[in-house]
Amino acid sequence: MYCNRLYANKPELAASRIDAIGYQVGHQLSERYTMERPRFTDHLDAIKFICKDFWSELFKKQIDNLKTNHRGTFVLQDNRFRWVSRMSLDPSENGDLSQENAEAAENKAVQEPNMHLHFSCGVIKGALHNLGIACAVSADPSQLPACSFVVRIKP
Amino acid sequence: MIVCVAVVGHQNNPLYIQSFTDADDALKLHHIVHCSLDVVDERVNNPKKSGPTLNETFLGLLYPTENYKVYGYLTNTKVKFILVTTDLDVKDADVRNFFRRFHAAYVDAISNPFHEPGKKITSKTFAERVSTIVKSFGMSSTG
Repeated sequence: MYCNRLYANKPELAASRIDAIGYQVGHQLSERYTMERPRFTDHLDAIKFICKDFWSELFKKQIDNLKTNHRGTFVLQDNRFRWVSRMSLDPSENGDLSQENAEAAENKAVQEPNMHLHFSCGVIKGALHNLGIACAVSADPSQLPACSFVVRIKP
Repeated sequence: MIVCVAVVGHQNNPLYIQSFTDADDALKLHHIVHCSLDVVDERVNNPKKSGPTLNETFLGLLYPTENYKVYGYLTNTKVKFILVTTDLDVKDADVRNFFRRFHAAYVDAISNPFHEPGKKITSKTFAERVSTIVKSFGMSSTG
């Protein structure tokens, strides 16, 4: 709704709005899911919590692959990200698929999952912020349904 | 008997503070809670002292005053819960149990979409739940 109706012409505004909604969700969920745990000692502990327990609560599976450069950047890869794995785009709404329309549809096909991924980025960011880690999160949907999230911790 | 409970945010901002006495000593209790924040900081920054309870959310007895005992609890999200009680022999398990229920009530309160993070908790439901928990604390320690 945000990407198609309210901010149809302002995708970056819609993105930040969706991100903010995700942020609130992550912020609240992280409080709930860390209730019975001892406190985290470092950033890696918190990221591991996101990969294992937090992801299991949300998606009933853990993150498949975690990479880090040990300098504040983490790449979380989910080989089958549930929120976009079943996403398909309705071709009929674009009418006849002439060359132009096909191009537009192509663009839309790239943008649509991006918009949805802003929400999950916001969730991760909100959860980490609440755990005391300031960070920026971006998603890489280039190999759907696999999806990777890049977490950059702000020094 | 519990005389005061408090929730303090990660920047030491008060989120919720409530005393449960008839006497007019709220200010004194607030002062005790305020002092306890330093003790919490000390415990967290010098983990050697706390020994086996390293990184546990329950911080145990923070300090005793002449009339009160002050207990603390620090969540993963750096929110502190403070409990001031007049009981002299309090069971550790009771206090742990109290904090667990208190934390659950807090989590439910902040999950309200209309609650602004970092602001005071004004929810009536939360206040009611807390007073129920506080009352049942007295029951379990006597019975």
